[in-house]
Amino acid sequence: MFFKMALRNIWKNRRRSIATISAVAVGYMGLALFAGYIESTRAGLAEQSIIGERLGHLTLVKIGYFSAGKIDPEKFIFSNDEIDTLKQELNGDKDIELISPRLDLSGLVSNGKVSTIYTTEGISAEDLVKLRGKYADLPGKLDPSNPAATAMGEELATILGLKQGETAVITGTTASGLMNALDIEVGEVFNTGSAGTNDKFILMSLDLAQRLYDVQGAHRIVLKLADKAMTESKRKELEEKLASRGMPIEIKTWNELSMFYNQVMGMLESMFGFLFMLVMVVVGMSIFNTMGMSVMERTREIGTLRSLGMQRGEVVKLFRVEGMLLAIVGCLLGMVMTAANTLSAELMNVTYVPPGSTEAVPLSFLHLPENIVFYFGILVLIGMSASWVPAEKAAKMPVVDALGHV
Amino acid sequence: MALIQVENVRKKYQLGQTEVEALRGVNLSIEKGEFLSIWGPSGSGKSSLLNIIGMIDSPTQGVVRLDGTSINGLSDKEITKLRNQKIGFVFQSFNLVPVLSALENIMLPLQIRGEALKVAAEKAMHRLEEVGLSNLAKSRPDHMSGGQRQRIAIARALVTDPSIVLADEPTANLDSETSQNIIELMRELNERDQVTFIFSTHDQQLLDSVKRRIRIKDGQITAEQGEAE
Repeated sequence: MFFKMALRNIWKNRRRSIATISAVAVGYMGLALFAGYIESTRAGLAEQSIIGERLGHLTLVKIGYFSAGKIDPEKFIFSNDEIDTLKQELNGDKDIELISPRLDLSGLVSNGKVSTIYTTEGISAEDLVKLRGKYADLPGKLDPSNPAATAMGEELATILGLKQGETAVITGTTASGLMNALDIEVGEVFNTGSAGTNDKFILMSLDLAQRLYDVQGAHRIVLKLADKAMTESKRKELEEKLASRGMPIEIKTWNELSMFYNQVMGMLESMFGFLFMLVMVVVGMSIFNTMGMSVMERTREIGTLRSLGMQRGEVVKLFRVEGMLLAIVGCLLGMVMTAANTLSAELMNVTYVPPGSTEAVPLSFLHLPENIVFYFGILVLIGMSASWVPAEKAAKMPVVDALGHV
Repeated sequence: MALIQVENVRKKYQLGQTEVEALRGVNLSIEKGEFLSIWGPSGSGKSSLLNIIGMIDSPTQGVVRLDGTSINGLSDKEITKLRNQKIGFVFQSFNLVPVLSALENIMLPLQIRGEALKVAAEKAMHRLEEVGLSNLAKSRPDHMSGGQRQRIAIARALVTDPSIVLADEPTANLDSETSQNIIELMRELNERDQVTFIFSTHDQQLLDSVKRRIRIKDGQITAEQGEAE
C-alpha cells in the first residue's frame, strides 16, 4: 500500500518529481564519477609508486635512516653480510617475490662544459626487470651487460645536450665524505613522468652506485610482494620476525614513502569531501522541498487517512517511502548516467596532463562496488531523512485541522 | 446500554485572541441502528459534535462513551485504532485518495487494519457491488461524478463493518436527484445491517428521511424530533 501510493504520487506530480530525481541523479553521478576518478588515480599512482618510482611494497632500513641518514649515511648502510643475512631470513617467504638492495645518491653531472645536479638510485638491472614484471619493457631500463650504462631523465639530457650512447661524468661524495667521480654512459633517455624529477634523475646499476659511493652495501632493501593487499600485514609480520632475530629494522610501506601519492590523494580526497557535503545538502534540500510541498498539498488526504485509522507513524512512513523512492530512482538514473559518462570517456579516449606530470594520461574511472553501494545507501538515507521532518509535522497535526485544510 | 453517550460535552476553540465555545454542555444518547441527523445553522456546533463523536476531535470538558466505555484519556494510538474498528466516515467533499482506484479506496481502511490483500479486495468488491459501482472498480476518483464518488465514500465507510457511520453534510455537493439516491442507499444499508448513521446536515431532503432529528443552535441542543430506536 505504501509503495503503491508513494509511486503513484510521484507519478502524479511527475514534473516536480523529475526535478528532484534529476538533482539526486546528478548528485549521484557527481559523487560516483569523482570517486571513480579518485580510485582510478589511486590505483594508477599506486602502480606508479611501486613500479614507476621503484618503491616496491616495503622498504627496509636501519632504524633512524629516514631521520638521520643524510647526516651520518655510513652509519645506516647495510653491509653485504647484513644484506645476505636478511636475504636468508626472507628467502623462504613465498609472499616475497623480490629482495632488492638500493643506494640513493646525489651530486653533480657534467658533459665537460656544463654541470648540473642529479639524484640517482642504484638498482641491479635484474632486480629492475623483476620489479617491473609485465612492464619490463617500459622506458627507463638498465643494461645488465653494461654496468656503466644509465637511464637519464629526458629534461636532464636536454640540459646537458646528451644523447643515447654519449658519456658524461658524475661526481659525488663517498660514504666516508670524500669526493669521487665516474664516467657514465647514457644508455637511455626517458621521461620519468614527473616534472620534479625529469630534469635531475639518473637511474644506474647498483654496482656503479656502489663504486661512486665507495661502499659494498645499500641504504635500503626493497621488497616486492605477491599481492599489494598484504602490504600492511606483511610489514607487521616482518617487524616482529626481524625484531625477534635481533635485527633493528624499520619498515615503511610504499604509500608512506611516496610523497607524490600522498599529496595527490590528499588533495583529491579533500576535494571529494567538499563535493560530498555539497551533494548531500543539495539532494537533502531538494527532497525536503518536494516532500514539504507534497505534504502541504495532501494535508486533507492525511486527515482522511488518519480518520480511517492510519497511525501517525504510518503517515510518516508513507512520506518517507516516497522520499526514499525519489532517492532510489534518482540513484538508479545516476548509475546509468555514470556508466554512460564512463563509457564515453573511454570511447573518446579523453586525456589530460595531471599537475606535476610531463605526459598526458587517459581520463579513467574505477568504480568500486563498495562505493556504488555506499553512495546509493547514503543518498537513500538522505532522501528518507529529508522527508521525515515535513511528514512528522503533518502526522502530528490534529485530524480535524488536517481535514479542514484547504 | 446506548451505543454513544455524550455527557455534558463542551468544546472551546481558540481563534486568534478570541475563545469560541462551539459546544456548551451537550447531552445526547444514540442507540444502535439509529438513522439520525444533527442539524442547525452554520456555526451552530453540529460539525464539532460530529467530530467529537467520531473521535477526530476531543471535548474540552465532558465525557463521550462508546459502547459504555469512556474514550476520554485514551492515547492517540488507541483512539486511532478504535476509529478504524468502530467508525466509518463520509465527508462532504468525499475525500477519496486521488491516486487510488475506487476499489483501492474502499480497501484502504482494511489495509490500514492489516487485513490480507485478497480478503480486503473481496470485501471491498462486495461493498462496491452494494453501491452499484462494480463497473468502476478500476476507475480513479477524477473520472467519476460527484454521486459516484460519494457512493464510493459510503462503501469505504462501511467496508470495516463499523458500528457507526458519521456523515458530515454528505449531500451538500450533490444535485437533488443524486442526493435522493445517496439517501436511499444509506437508508437501505441502515435498515438491512442495523448500522448507525449520524448526519450533520441542513439538507431538507435528508432531514425528511431520518427517523430522529436533533437541532443544535449556539452549541446547545435546542430541539429533538423523532424517537431513539
